Order: sequence, then structure tokens, then C-alpha cells
Amino acid sequence: MDELDLLKKDWNKDDNTYPKLTYNEIYKMILKKSSSIVKWIFIISLLEFAFWIIISFLLKDNESMKRFDQLNTDPIFVPLIVLGYIILAFFFYLFFRNYRKISTTDNAKILMENILKTRKTVRQYVAFNLIYLVITSIAIIYIEIDQDQLIIDKIEAAAANGEVFKFYAVFIGITILFLAITIAFLLLFYWLIYGLLLKRLNRNYKELKRLEF
Amino acid sequence: MNKELEHNFVELLEKHQNIVHKVCRLYTNNYDAHNDLFQEITIQLWKAYPKFRGDAKFSTWMYRVGLNTAITLYRKSKRTINTQDFNGVEFKIKAENYDDTEEQQLKILYKAVHQLNDIEKALVFLYLEDKDYREISETLGISEVNARVKMNRIKTKLKTILNP
Repeated sequence: MDELDLLKKDWNKDDNTYPKLTYNEIYKMILKKSSSIVKWIFIISLLEFAFWIIISFLLKDNESMKRFDQLNTDPIFVPLIVLGYIILAFFFYLFFRNYRKISTTDNAKILMENILKTRKTVRQYVAFNLIYLVITSIAIIYIEIDQDQLIIDKIEAAAANGEVFKFYAVFIGITILFLAITIAFLLLFYWLIYGLLLKRLNRNYKELKRLEF
Repeated sequence: MNKELEHNFVELLEKHQNIVHKVCRLYTNNYDAHNDLFQEITIQLWKAYPKFRGDAKFSTWMYRVGLNTAITLYRKSKRTINTQDFNGVEFKIKAENYDDTEEQQLKILYKAVHQLNDIEKALVFLYLEDKDYREISETLGISEVNARVKMNRIKTKLKTILNP
């Protein structure tokens, strides 16, 4: 007899060794809250959407941006802001559509794929935001240098001292540093989410995929 | 939620609870973890219950939701103690004093099954529950041929552990 059949014989024999939960015990269980990864993914994803919406408001309200608003920026920024909101709505819709597709009654592989797809939507939204952030930063730098009297004065002063190159280097350097810190922070965040929350799912999904070859 | 639905569900689960206990037995290795996984599977079953249609058997439906929860949704809670090391030590002692009684063999087999990965455990579980390859393949989302091939590999693996 093969090993598994030996196990099978035993497996179905000892039905009485399991705990017997009563009706009330089970009833209490259905009232409790789930702590499944899907719930965590949902919360984290919403936080990510919220994070970017808050960031965009903070950027708009801050003092230097108010000064910045006095410059002629509308031809560049109005389309960028409208585009930003359209894309937010689009990703939000995609996210909810994918999230609603997650069903524990699907087979294991489809369930895993749907969870990963939901995460992918949010990841793409964050990637979009990073690109958006870089484009906006470039646009801001361009407008500042082109129109902001404060900056223009500084450039002229620097030029008088023969330090134009140094001025640009510092200006661009600070922008790059700011972007690098933001991106590093997000990568850390992602590393944590994927490391802690999705490690097991990813491992099992890979194992299932491996079986198909 | 409607009371009658609740009542029907709890009654059905009470009757079929061994299926959930068996999933927990394979995927956890201590009492607390067992209860924790049982709780989560119960919640997932309950959440999916309104969509349950009588055309599938309740038990068959439970296998799917139960395994999905164990393999994919469940997050081990912090209080879960990892007894991996302990099992390893005990396993060695057992192997040294190996005599051919069925009892000993079973103990080692259970330990060996515990060392399999999540997907392998799912295959073994469905096999032990007397499910055919069609149902195994449908539950996991792999082809029937691949389910068979994988099962044979697991059997070989277990044989090697039992007869080093």
C-alpha cells in the first residue's frame, strides 16, 4: 500500500478527534471581523489614494504655491490638474472593479490573480503619480526660471558674480534630491507591503504557475 | 443580514465543521493557530454564503473557500508560535528509533506532510478527502494532468522521507 493511502485510511478514521464547536460558538465567530489580507489590501489601497489626494491639496495650499499662482501658469497647470483628476477617477474605478471581482469561491489561481490585479492597479496609480510628480516639477522649474521675478533676480545676481552654473546646479540638485527622497520613501513602503502582506500569496502563486509548465 | 440565513448557515457549518478542522490541522501546528484559522475560514464562508447556490454541495463549496482562505487570504496572527524547529528535532529521534509499526509510520507521515508547501498540502488534503483529479484541478485552477503529475511527485517525496 502506498504511503498516502495509509494516511488516507487514518485520516478518515479519526473524525472524533476534532474539537466539536457548538452552534453558539460558531454563531459568535460569524460576528467577528476578518483579518484577511484582502481586507488589509483594501485599507492600504484606499490610504494610498488618500495619500496622493492629500499631497495634491497640500501642494496647492502652501505659501510658495500661492505666490506661484500669480504667475502665468494656467496654460500648463489647468490641463495637468484636470488630467490628474480624470486619471484618479479612472484608477479608482478600475480598483473597485478589480476588488469586487475577488471571490473566495473562485479557484485558487483565479483568486490569487484577482488579488494581484487589484494591487497592480494601485501600483500603476502610484507609478502614474511619480511620473506626474516629475513632470510637474520640471514644469514648475521651467516657469520659475522663466517668470518668477525673485528667481530671475537671483539668476541675474549670480550671473554678475559669474556663478550661473552653480546656481542652476543647486536649484536642480535640490529638486532631484526632493524627488529621490519621495521615491525612496515609496519604494520602502512597497517593499514592506509586498514583503509582509503578499509574500505568502506570491510564493503560492509562483508555485501554481510553476505547475503549469 | 437576515436571521434565517444566519441560522441556516451556522447549522450547516456546525454539521460540516470537521472539514474546516481538517484544513486547520494541515495548515497549522498549534492550538492557537488552529483556532485562528478556523475563525477566519468561518468568516470567509459566511461572507461568501449569500452567493452560495444549492446547486453545489455545501461540503464541496466549503473545500474551496476553506483552502482559499488557508492558502491565500489568511495572515498568520502574531501569537502563532513557530514550532518548526521542535518538529525537526522530534522527527530525527523518531527516525532513529524507526520500527515498522503503522503507528510510527503514520506519525512520521503526518510530520512529513506538515513540511510540504501550501500548494502541496492542498493537493494532499483533497486527495485524503477522496476528491478526484478533476475536482482537485478545478479547486486549484491547474490542469488535471498537472495535478496528477504533482501528486505523483508528492508521493515520491513522502516515500523518500519515510524510507531514507
